[in-house]
Amino acid sequence: MFRARWYKVFNDLFGNKTRTLLIVLSMSVGLFALGIILSARTILSEGLAESFAAITPSSGTVRTIELFDEDFIQSIRSMKDVQEADARRNISARVQTASGEWKNITIFVVADYDDIRVNKVASQSGPWPPPEREVLIERAALSVIEAQVGDVVLVKFPNDVERKIRIAGTAYDPAQLPAQIDGTPYGYITFDTLNWFGESYGFNELHVLATHPEDKAWAQQVVNRVKDKAEKSGYTIPLSMTAEPGQLPMNDVLQGILLLMGMLGILSLFLSIFLVVNTVSALLTQQQRQIGVMKAVGGSTLQILGMYLVMVLAYGVLALLIAIPFGVVGARGLSNALAGFFNFDIYSMDLPPQTFLIQIAIGLVLPVLASLVPFLSSLRISAAEAMSSYSIGRGRFGKNWIDQLLSGANIWFMRNLSIRSILLSVRNTFRNKGRLTLTLITLTLGSATFISVFNVRDSLSHTVDDMIKWFNCDIMLTFDRTYLADKVEFSALTVPGVTQTDVWIQLPTRLIRSDDSESGMIYMFAPTVHPESLIVSPTIAEGRWLMPDDDNAVVVPSAFLQDEPELHLGGDIVLKLDGKEHTFKIVGTYVGMAILPLVYTNYEYITQITNRIGEADALMVKMERHDPAYVDAATRALEDHFEQIGVRVSMVSTINNERTEAEASFDAIVALLLVMAILLALVGGLGLMGTMSINVLERTREIGVLRAIGAPNRGVASVFILEGIVIGLMSWAMGAVLAIPISQGLNQALGQAVMGVPLSYSYSIQGLWTWLVVVILLSVLASFIPARNASRLTVREVLAYE
Amino acid sequence: MNSSTANPLIELRSVVKVYNSTADSVTALNGIDLQIFPGEFLVVTGKSGSGKTTLVNMVTGLDRSTSGEIWVDSEPLHKFGSERAAKLRGRTMGVVFQSFELLPTLTVLQNVMLPMDFAGRASRSEQRKRAMNLLEQVDIADHAKKLPTALSGGQQQRLSIARAMANNPAILVADEPTGSLDSATANAVVDIFKKLAQEGKTIFLVTHDKDIAKRGSRMITLSDGQIVG
Repeated sequence: MFRARWYKVFNDLFGNKTRTLLIVLSMSVGLFALGIILSARTILSEGLAESFAAITPSSGTVRTIELFDEDFIQSIRSMKDVQEADARRNISARVQTASGEWKNITIFVVADYDDIRVNKVASQSGPWPPPEREVLIERAALSVIEAQVGDVVLVKFPNDVERKIRIAGTAYDPAQLPAQIDGTPYGYITFDTLNWFGESYGFNELHVLATHPEDKAWAQQVVNRVKDKAEKSGYTIPLSMTAEPGQLPMNDVLQGILLLMGMLGILSLFLSIFLVVNTVSALLTQQQRQIGVMKAVGGSTLQILGMYLVMVLAYGVLALLIAIPFGVVGARGLSNALAGFFNFDIYSMDLPPQTFLIQIAIGLVLPVLASLVPFLSSLRISAAEAMSSYSIGRGRFGKNWIDQLLSGANIWFMRNLSIRSILLSVRNTFRNKGRLTLTLITLTLGSATFISVFNVRDSLSHTVDDMIKWFNCDIMLTFDRTYLADKVEFSALTVPGVTQTDVWIQLPTRLIRSDDSESGMIYMFAPTVHPESLIVSPTIAEGRWLMPDDDNAVVVPSAFLQDEPELHLGGDIVLKLDGKEHTFKIVGTYVGMAILPLVYTNYEYITQITNRIGEADALMVKMERHDPAYVDAATRALEDHFEQIGVRVSMVSTINNERTEAEASFDAIVALLLVMAILLALVGGLGLMGTMSINVLERTREIGVLRAIGAPNRGVASVFILEGIVIGLMSWAMGAVLAIPISQGLNQALGQAVMGVPLSYSYSIQGLWTWLVVVILLSVLASFIPARNASRLTVREVLAYE
Repeated sequence: MNSSTANPLIELRSVVKVYNSTADSVTALNGIDLQIFPGEFLVVTGKSGSGKTTLVNMVTGLDRSTSGEIWVDSEPLHKFGSERAAKLRGRTMGVVFQSFELLPTLTVLQNVMLPMDFAGRASRSEQRKRAMNLLEQVDIADHAKKLPTALSGGQQQRLSIARAMANNPAILVADEPTGSLDSATANAVVDIFKKLAQEGKTIFLVTHDKDIAKRGSRMITLSDGQIVG
């Protein structure tokens, strides 16, 4: 048998099930959102790293022009500081999609698919290893080539041999950039199949694992030693690069996502805290009269406090029982979805206890702390006041200027306002200002976060637009070597629909650091710089764009300066072109990502220093129409035209495709933002419903009074619904303003993490209106249900309600 | 009990209570001097707004006086904070309110047991036994397992008296205990107080009903916060 006071706690908890449900739901939605974000963040940061480590990622890659054999691989493996080495053949081929379009495809040839030692590739579906004269396609690449397993596709090798080859299955190769991101699919064949394409046996790509792969400087030294050895063995090295230890191919985007999740986690934490504080505060206000009675019959502060602490702890436990399991399920679903964008399988979904401990701390400790504030304030008033103040007169409307204003006495249009319920609703809203403030803080935070999520999404899209608009053309064609610029330009202009052409030259280059180490491959793009140039200035983060009379000026991506601390705006940069080192001056940085850094320099200058005057290896074409179908048809016509005149096109891209690919790299972030928007709408919405429903429940007696003096049920409900809408609209308006700094902060942080500069700011009107609709709907729903329930009671029951 | 030979159980010396609001201040009690002796059945009467309920709040320590001294069972209640006042109340007095002030989520029996639980004086089985005895004394033992809302107004007030008696206090303070009841029920409730006074309890009862006022052993009348008769 319990003490009498615990019966009260038990009966309060389970006697008023609606109230308990509302309180528990309000608390659990905040905890649920927090759980999802914290857990998914942990799963992604740790699970992806673990999955990446499982493929034994290489410390670096060395590519050769000439082919090498197993003996050379063995000689690299026997090097002192090389832990492991493996090799492949890497071939840039072309594949024809179902729609007839030719796309680039990278074909890997591996000698023994069951003994891949570095950058491991695994079977995803179909036979393993790939059967002779059949190909396995990387699983993320099937959609890019618009094909299915079992389809036969036409593949064209650089030696012009075309073969129809069946897709036997799919492979899983997480060491590569996901195909949808860079637009290049990957295929895997055996050397027998390679032979069938008329190519000879041999490797051209070496993957090296250093003895201490976690030490980047060391790994770099080892990769350089391997490169030196290869050069001494007579191989030409067009590319050698060292990987960031443990970083998966889209690390910048992953870091952006983790950062975003961290920031949204903090916002959800505050939202959750205010939901809990608001809910508990509402509960204690409701119980104030009973606290007074218990004091009157001899209850001490500690005894009464103990009862309410146990009560709020029970609410916390119930909320956690809902929030934790749903949070885990949600976090695993979200993590899997996001991992899909990175083309990763997450092997471990384990969650560290800290995630749960934070939820438990907030779910249990916070309500206790939250209840102390209103409880201690209730101690300041006497028991007599506590008992007498629980009545119609609670709240202190009428004492300050806001109340005077809302009373309408001094405003002519309010004096004549015939809609009494509007006046009553507005005045009711401001009656309990402490509660209103707490409710508004909670809802404003929810509104601001929701709108900010939409703003970040819009800003991402805006940023992509800014990136794409640098290219004032529709089609970019890359040739297998340099041709006379005049020849390709004039020839292209004969193709119907082509209105303007421009050329550039592109060269692979590498940064030479002060310690003589080399960076990974950097693409140098040298466009013509004159008023008719089809390359316009990208969005400049700092400094300036190229000028016609520039010689050795370069413009680099802003993120590049972060990755290479030696470099700075106005400083020198040493780049290796065709085996020779050249010093350039960094005159500007542009908004861009560093996944595959592109540096821009002047066409005239580059053609001079590389002895290619008057030549170009890339052509930009502007069409009279820009719709995708027209541009795609023109692209095929241009390819056919150049084939006929003996100019070999190695790569084609359209601005439409570039946009799709640029957007694809943000897909994961956009998807996350959408999930977060839905989650926050859920949290904010249920929070709004819970808070308002508790507010209405608390005033059940008042509903009785309104009905006793003749108000019809509909009239009573409309007063409370309007009050809900007034609160909802206020939180929406304040959230819309607060969203400006929040989204700027998110844009700044996300942009810095992914591209080195803030995203192009954009305020989402769509988000603003969406949330307005949600807020109004929820306000109506939240106020209507309890008001309708109260209006169903008899007047006597309502007046006796406590 | 002879008032001249015993010490007063409750003594008020120059008690003043002023309520301040933003508009103005109201003096609810204006220099009250009053002695109440053990076994007395004191009835305080007066018109609405005369300060009767304020006087109850002062005597019970439910509110603090603006100035003056209040002694209860030789203890200076006017110096006590709400915590000590609650303990003194739990030990020495029971309070009965016009609107009963029962806890709606506790049963009739649990409502009576609650003050004993707070006082921590008896074991749970003894609390239960004593609570049942008290409910029998006020004739509502049959309703012990019901919630207060299931009782009539008279029964709720009987329950309120039983709860006030839970810790066997020397003093019973009742603020308009018959205000919400019909005359027959009101008389029955006053009978209970009368019987308790005969058993030695000190009763401090506030009413505006003159017939009920006559049933006490002493009557004082309040007007504008002062004792006028």
